[in-house]
Amino acid sequence: MGENLTMKRNPTAFLKEEYEELVKNGFDWKLRELQGPSKPKVTVDGKEMIMLCSNNYLNLSNHPKLIEAAIEATKTHGSGSGSVRAIAGNMDLHFELEEAIAKFKKTEAALYYQTGFATNAGLIPQLAPAKEDLIISDELNHGSIIDGVRLSKAQRAVYAHCDVGELEKVLIESEKKNPRRILIITDGVFSMDGDTAPMDEIVKTAQEFGAMTYVDDCHGEGVIGKEGRGIGSKFGIEGKIDVEMGTFSKALGVVGGMIAGSRDLVNFALNKSRTWLLSGSAPPATTAACTAAIHVLENEPQHVNTLWDNINYFKKELISMGFDCGHSDTAITPVIVGESHKAKDLSDELIKNGIFALPIVFPMVARDKARIRTMMNAGLTKEDLNYCLEKFEKIGKELKIL
Amino acid sequence: MTSRIGFIVNPVAGMGGKVGLKGTDGVLKEALSLGAKPIASSKAVETVEEFLSNYSGEEIEWVTCSGEMGYNELKKAGVKNIDVIYEHTGKDTTSLDTENACKKILEKNVDLILFCGGDGTARDVFKVVKNKIPILGIPSGVKMHSGIFGINTSAVAKMLHEFLNKSLTIGDAEIMDLDEERYRRGEWNIKLFGIAKGIVEPTYVQVGKTSFESVSDNEIKDELAEHIFDEINQNSNYLYLFGSGGTIDYIAEKMNIKNTLLGIDAVYKNKLVGNDLNEKSILELLKKYPNAKVILSPIGAQGFILGRGNLQLSPKVIRKIGLDNIIVISTPSKLVSTPFIRVDTGDKKLDSDFVEKEFMMVVIGYRLSRVVKIQTNNF
Repeated sequence: MGENLTMKRNPTAFLKEEYEELVKNGFDWKLRELQGPSKPKVTVDGKEMIMLCSNNYLNLSNHPKLIEAAIEATKTHGSGSGSVRAIAGNMDLHFELEEAIAKFKKTEAALYYQTGFATNAGLIPQLAPAKEDLIISDELNHGSIIDGVRLSKAQRAVYAHCDVGELEKVLIESEKKNPRRILIITDGVFSMDGDTAPMDEIVKTAQEFGAMTYVDDCHGEGVIGKEGRGIGSKFGIEGKIDVEMGTFSKALGVVGGMIAGSRDLVNFALNKSRTWLLSGSAPPATTAACTAAIHVLENEPQHVNTLWDNINYFKKELISMGFDCGHSDTAITPVIVGESHKAKDLSDELIKNGIFALPIVFPMVARDKARIRTMMNAGLTKEDLNYCLEKFEKIGKELKIL
Repeated sequence: MTSRIGFIVNPVAGMGGKVGLKGTDGVLKEALSLGAKPIASSKAVETVEEFLSNYSGEEIEWVTCSGEMGYNELKKAGVKNIDVIYEHTGKDTTSLDTENACKKILEKNVDLILFCGGDGTARDVFKVVKNKIPILGIPSGVKMHSGIFGINTSAVAKMLHEFLNKSLTIGDAEIMDLDEERYRRGEWNIKLFGIAKGIVEPTYVQVGKTSFESVSDNEIKDELAEHIFDEINQNSNYLYLFGSGGTIDYIAEKMNIKNTLLGIDAVYKNKLVGNDLNEKSILELLKKYPNAKVILSPIGAQGFILGRGNLQLSPKVIRKIGLDNIIVISTPSKLVSTPFIRVDTGDKKLDSDFVEKEFMMVVIGYRLSRVVKIQTNNF
């Protein structure tokens, strides 16, 4: 034994090899450490910085009412839920949250998922599971939607970004094969450009063809629409989108995914979504904090208002300096600088100056549209913003972007 | 590692065009007497100059030919590291010069051959290089149907740049040219001569929130093959005509079907029932198998699915099969360079039927498609 025994295969050699390949090409994630809470001013790897790249748009993760709700629920309900919701992990807190969501979104019902990803990956493949079904997707949809779609056997078609004309052509052409169900999926707010899907037109077109609509509004929730109620509210089509999907991990300051829609949708979703059925339910602290977040949005309009004041001021100033800020109408403002290396250089300099803003380069965006993606926070003061703007201008000039 | 680029200029390429000749092959004297001026040299210089002005990578060794066939242009563009490996003799350069130069260049293990010319030059280069190494063409001919050309000098400079940066990859590119035999009989027919290695935009999939991974051309072709298997198995009473080109050839190979790369083959119940068919034999097969579909892929620099390289699929054949039974497949990267699909069937009525359709669904992955506009303008 021993010497003559040659290993059939090295079972784990790939772990190191593939990781080293990533490192060699500079594609590995280097995790930064936030020392303390995600506030508008954070300590990252020992350095104090102004946060311009978190999704904590309304700064609700630091709101006393959310923190209080989490502590209180832990005291009254414990640290965990004990089970999946379908068996023994469904608490009064979960139902309370879902009622609050439905009321906030002005829909018949709502369902809370463990994460946004779990929502897309669990529900999408159930809505259009069979090869006789068709899923039509915006070409720039987020990765979790793409993964959800991959779990289905349905035919798939993509249309050019936000191009309802092309969507219609796909529908016309697909109708020839008479699909059993058609599901149209789009991001509500697209995370690279901060632009918004023309949801009113998409819903109108879908209705003409008997297609379902599904919007992933995770960057719109808490930001767009009246009192931050999201994309349905922005276009005045609340209750008309078949599935309004969102998240609590961005503007709402906690974690978790949600859908809002009809009672039929929720009944279907909770009985069919494998991610929802097969993973433990959200703990009391998280669930109660989510409910508190919705109450804060309903009762304290100042957060959304301040966010928009900040967005408008920051964007206006950047544009007047001569920066290209694309077509954003949300809390995401891209600062488009051209070639990849320019975006990386600008980001490096900003970080040196205590501004946490990261570059987005090809192939996330076109080769000549590399950018810094800034994400506004309602907790930033005019003074903070002026500091950022001053640095953007100074460095922009030094790097000959301006 | 130093990159090595093979560089060839066909100094007379494109001279026929300005004086109304359909090419310069064999008619150079006539072109000269009609007052044609050389244009290839200046296009070659322009491309290399633009490339150098943005290039900051490691030093490149340029392997080229003497005089106007490369050396002069490189010198003019400011290149220092030039290795002349071929001297052409005689006054005018010919196809043979291009071929011999390519042989010499291949011996030098270059990463890529950059040439300046038209479809004729592309054919000469391809004759020797085959698909051993990638070929990139600076468009300077009269005819430029081949898929290895950039759309203009500036695009070529960028492609070369991105290729050396490894952000572009290698994919199929068709070599197409006028079928001279038919041309002498008075027919204008662009024939598919082979599939070279060209430089293409890779296909990306999102792997993380802000990260993408590029997928190899073969992985995408595997997906397309899966799609076609499903399609054929679900319609077992259909005859499938396989068009020409690298993507379709790859699928046939996966099905263990002996496919002709440049011709049309017929498959029924996963078995080959017709090989390298002409119009007549296709029509006979269609009598035997009334239910038929045809699988096509856009070919060449302009993305034709019909009318270039596949005249066997005549208007009569296409009508018989029906427009709705045309399955167009394409790697997504191909659609980046040719965002339209084009038809030129030679039959005005049929062309207008395509125009009326306005767009077609093109399969770009397993069970994945998108609409693409149809154009019928001639090139």
